[in-house]
Amino acid sequence: MTRSLGQTPNFEGWRAAILHRPHEMVKAMTRQLERFGIRGEACWPNLLAAEPDGEFDILFFDADMGHESQFCWGPGEAPIPTIALIGSEAPGRVAWAIAQGADAHLLKPVGSAGIYAAILLATKAFEKRQALVDETEKLRARLSARECVAAATAQIMMSDNVDAGEAYRRLRLMAMRERRTIEVMSAAILKTVGGGVARNDSA
Amino acid sequence: MDAQGASRRGAFVVLGDLSVVQAKPTIPLGVLFSNSGPYANLGREGLGGALTAIAEINNSDRFAFEFSPQVRDPKGSIEAYAPLCREIVSDTGAHFVVGCTTSWSRKEVIPVLEKTGAQLWYPCPYEGFESNDHVVYVGACPNQHAVPLLDHIVPAFGASVALVGSNYIWGWETNRIAREHVEAVGGSVLSERYVALGDTDIAYIVEEIARKKPDFVFNTLIGPSSHAFVRAYAELGRVDRAFSPATRPIVSCNWTEHEIDELGEDAAGHFSVAPYFQSMTGAANARFLAAARDYAGASRVSAFFAQSYSAVYMIAHGVAATKSWNTDAVLAHAQSHDFEAPFGPVRIDGRNNHAVLAPHIGRANANGQFEPAGPQAVPVLPDPYLASRPFVQSVFVDAHAEQTGRTAAQHLKVVK
Repeated sequence: MTRSLGQTPNFEGWRAAILHRPHEMVKAMTRQLERFGIRGEACWPNLLAAEPDGEFDILFFDADMGHESQFCWGPGEAPIPTIALIGSEAPGRVAWAIAQGADAHLLKPVGSAGIYAAILLATKAFEKRQALVDETEKLRARLSARECVAAATAQIMMSDNVDAGEAYRRLRLMAMRERRTIEVMSAAILKTVGGGVARNDSA
Repeated sequence: MDAQGASRRGAFVVLGDLSVVQAKPTIPLGVLFSNSGPYANLGREGLGGALTAIAEINNSDRFAFEFSPQVRDPKGSIEAYAPLCREIVSDTGAHFVVGCTTSWSRKEVIPVLEKTGAQLWYPCPYEGFESNDHVVYVGACPNQHAVPLLDHIVPAFGASVALVGSNYIWGWETNRIAREHVEAVGGSVLSERYVALGDTDIAYIVEEIARKKPDFVFNTLIGPSSHAFVRAYAELGRVDRAFSPATRPIVSCNWTEHEIDELGEDAAGHFSVAPYFQSMTGAANARFLAAARDYAGASRVSAFFAQSYSAVYMIAHGVAATKSWNTDAVLAHAQSHDFEAPFGPVRIDGRNNHAVLAPHIGRANANGQFEPAGPQAVPVLPDPYLASRPFVQSVFVDAHAEQTGRTAAQHLKVVK
């Protein structure tokens, strides 16, 4: 049984923005963040005003009185982990917090407990989300290069007089030898034959 | 004690003007420890320490008030803690409660504290990762127990370890910190085993250790499980000297004088860490031991006793100095004034409500006492979230540094 896995997170040097109107709760949150090594900075009514000297690492935002123009990014596009501070559980407000892409939430009033776990959850959720975005972008790029791969395969079929399967195998081998992706290799082949897709007019 | 003052509420009214009061006003003080159940041996230590301090204070001319101890016994039942805490606060009007041994029980009473504004003075070592505004942590957190213990043990014995623990958060989290520590210095965890609270069927754990030969055993077992393990390990050591304490010791973060006394020869040579050991020299400890003997009939005491005793005194000094029983004022006093505890001056760190404590490494002898074994102990600032620590970077930090292009800061140990 292994119960001792997981490393102790270290947030030393982090800056947290607390986007909430001035309130005792914000002071309590700042105090608690300091215990984790995080400098909390209250800002209201918007994020930009409190960001003169650098980036924040995490954002707590008020879901009760919050609105989109407070952020310097579009809904769901926060470049840092975000945690919604939820007072009203009315579906509209929760939906708004979801639309902002909150990675975790805390119920108000926020006391001494909960912030640490919320930061861990939000940080992990954000990492996963970022990894998915990166993966999706990669797949999109590959998808758009598919036509290019098909053309390069056809080129090899013609030049080497082989079938499609063998042509693709040779393309892949070439890419491996040159330590390139198949997509980059395909583009290079097409470039050497004049930048266009060779046509088999007799086909 | 109540007979000396007016009613409990009346006592509070006159407290604001102590100079004109003839009879000493009485202040209710909650005392919430388990006097029976699976960890009663530790609960009794907390109880004894609190009652000793209360008796001493009540007999002293230095204090213009008396504490009326409001003692409740949850008997080790987790469900009983919150109702009994509520009863103390609601029925007796107590603002302060000294109590709880396990983290589970502490977490049970926190909602009551938050609702009522009462303050818990928690006198035991725990696994950290908490800092509640309604709790004052008088015991050690990991950077004051596990970390200094490993700092001493790993260079002396090696960095391969067997982890054994009771199957609950103290065992899991303290062992997690030990794993992180040894892996950060290139060591390894050779085995990791947990047993249910109270379970004494541990022969298979000792067999595994005999097979894997770790440099030392990190033990977070509690109560009968711990005793059974130490006895079985001592038996192994008698058969095979490669497992003697001189070669492969057991190290613990919460071992007390009572436990090693019960184990006798079997405990001798193994290590513990605590802010207090009975064997400490000095006039303050001598006075404290005399009080423990006189008021609690205790000839053997541990850090649990000394910390509970100190918690009551810190409250008393706060009440006396501020002429108030306001929890914020009393805490502020403890944050700005040293209390001369039996183990030296102690103060509460205003940043996280934990005590600044000097971790002492002790090596058990066969007479139920710990002998000084480590370097000279120096006060260590409490860092309950290990926010500033000497070992490895976290995955979060690594990922974060990659994203932001920042280099993570050098981590320094908080030692003052």
